[in-house]
Amino acid sequence: MDLSPFEKDNSVSCRLASQIPDVCKIEDCCLGIDEAGRGPVLGPMVYGICFCPVSKKEQLKDLKVADSKTLTEAERENLFQKLDEARNYVGWALQILSPNIISTSMLQRTKYNLNALSHDTAIGLVQYALDSGVQLKEVYVDTVGPAEKYEEKLSQRFPGIEVTVRPKADSLFPIVSAASICAKVARDRAVKGWNFSEDLGEVDTDYGSGYPNDPKTKAWLLKYLDPVFGYSQFVRFSWSTAQTLMDSKAVTVHWDDDEEDGEKAAQRKNNRSMLSYFGASAGGNDQNPTHQTHRFFTERRLKSLDTL
Amino acid sequence: VMSLIFILMSTDSVIDTHRPESDPAFVRLRNPSTDSASLYMLGSDDLQLYEVKAFEEDFHSWFVGQTVQRDGRLLFVTPMDPLFLILPYLIKVGKEGKFQPVDQVVMDEEFPACSRLLSCTRSQASLHHIAEEKEVGSLKFHRYSQEKTMNWLKKKVERTVVALKKRNISVGEGVKSTTYVRVKSESDYHEEDYLRYAHGLISEYISEDLSKALLIHLGLPELTSPKETEPPSKKRKLSDKPVEAGEDYTKFNSADFARKPPKKMTAAQKSLAKVDKSGMKPMSSFFSPKVKAEKK
Repeated sequence: MDLSPFEKDNSVSCRLASQIPDVCKIEDCCLGIDEAGRGPVLGPMVYGICFCPVSKKEQLKDLKVADSKTLTEAERENLFQKLDEARNYVGWALQILSPNIISTSMLQRTKYNLNALSHDTAIGLVQYALDSGVQLKEVYVDTVGPAEKYEEKLSQRFPGIEVTVRPKADSLFPIVSAASICAKVARDRAVKGWNFSEDLGEVDTDYGSGYPNDPKTKAWLLKYLDPVFGYSQFVRFSWSTAQTLMDSKAVTVHWDDDEEDGEKAAQRKNNRSMLSYFGASAGGNDQNPTHQTHRFFTERRLKSLDTL
Repeated sequence: VMSLIFILMSTDSVIDTHRPESDPAFVRLRNPSTDSASLYMLGSDDLQLYEVKAFEEDFHSWFVGQTVQRDGRLLFVTPMDPLFLILPYLIKVGKEGKFQPVDQVVMDEEFPACSRLLSCTRSQASLHHIAEEKEVGSLKFHRYSQEKTMNWLKKKVERTVVALKKRNISVGEGVKSTTYVRVKSESDYHEEDYLRYAHGLISEYISEDLSKALLIHLGLPELTSPKETEPPSKKRKLSDKPVEAGEDYTKFNSADFARKPPKKMTAAQKSLAKVDKSGMKPMSSFFSPKVKAEKK
């Protein structure tokens, strides 16, 4: 697994994929989807698919791929090695969603939540397999959100493919376990070798698991909080852990789509745009209350000053 | 430490490096439109006057080098005709009807810097636009002339119209203020739209009285309702009352109102149609709006 395309620019979404085994283009195939790094406040979220001919399902079982969570890092690396050796009938593809992509998706003006992002990424990977000529007949997915709804969404999106969405699919279906191993290995490697694009000096890489409840992670977040910029792009800004720390320790930043309440919000929403620029009450220097600035200036947000 | 972010617009350099006898400086002077203090800038040796306008909008900040500046303010320093600032002083003294030396006229206890306006290159040379001149020996005397001033301001308006057209400034009413999206095409604007807009702009630099006089001088009838030039007020939305249609057409659906207008006007109607209706209320204004009725 070569992560260098992602490491070159770890601020975006990046796809890594194995060669497509020839047998997958001829025989009916099954495909498993799983993700790694959904919960951490640090690092990317990785989506993985693994596929093989339906006829090779048993062979895959013999590889003893199991739910990645029950394995140590070394065991996962070992299993990924085995999957790699089975490359003549097992293929995989990954979508690495950088923490920056997660932050900007979730915090943009039209909110794009993590579930929608996850669903779309999964759909994108299945489509990639189809586009690559994999003869997909069965798809197995570990659920994100309610299983039934997700299953319906995927079935509609891919007519002719039998979609099975199950919680804990990674321990039920070997092909999902395989996908979970690919995703987890990629995530581990990406986090371990993270290239900080910011100049943070000698970065302390002892940030623990990256999960919000890990004391090491929390300590790291406190240490690397910049009062103006907040965090490195390694951190998911949209996580409440990060937001709470920035709210209490960093400079307050106002955005024009911030939700405000009470009088302040009413003032902004109702008349800040135009009316506040007329008259003296808005803090302008027009002491003559009857004077209305011409719209050439108000439309351009230009006003006279009486002091610098 | 605050940084100030400027855009300097000038044809000649603000800082004259060959003769840096005095640096450019910000000065507070009497704003002729508001009669209160506004910030201006005088170039080297007070040769050129500049006005200072600030672009200010919510939710803006600057990154300046390695620092952050809280306000996203952008200051524009643009050349300005000093005559606009000299004018109010001439008018004030002009009421006495005497010819006087300008350096005795342009004086202000509140804004002592105003005398520096007379050092501007254009000041002395263009006083004749707004005042009558008399020369006695080597001394010059001036007296404010409303007639000259009106002609001068009219020229300013006309030049502004040219500039507005050249710059494709949207002068119509159907403009969305934030994006400057033009609703009408340029050809739809009438000359009067441009004139009114230009008059409004020039009025930012003169007193309200002069602005009114200029409107008459330009032959622009005063609009009966200010609503015609302003975009509809959003204040209506703030009312506690439930939203209702402004006009209720169903009221007129009875037989009395269903009558079609006659195809040909009678002689009496024709003569009525020719009557000058300016200043007269339209019929509709006699139907009192619901709001008023409720107050009774």
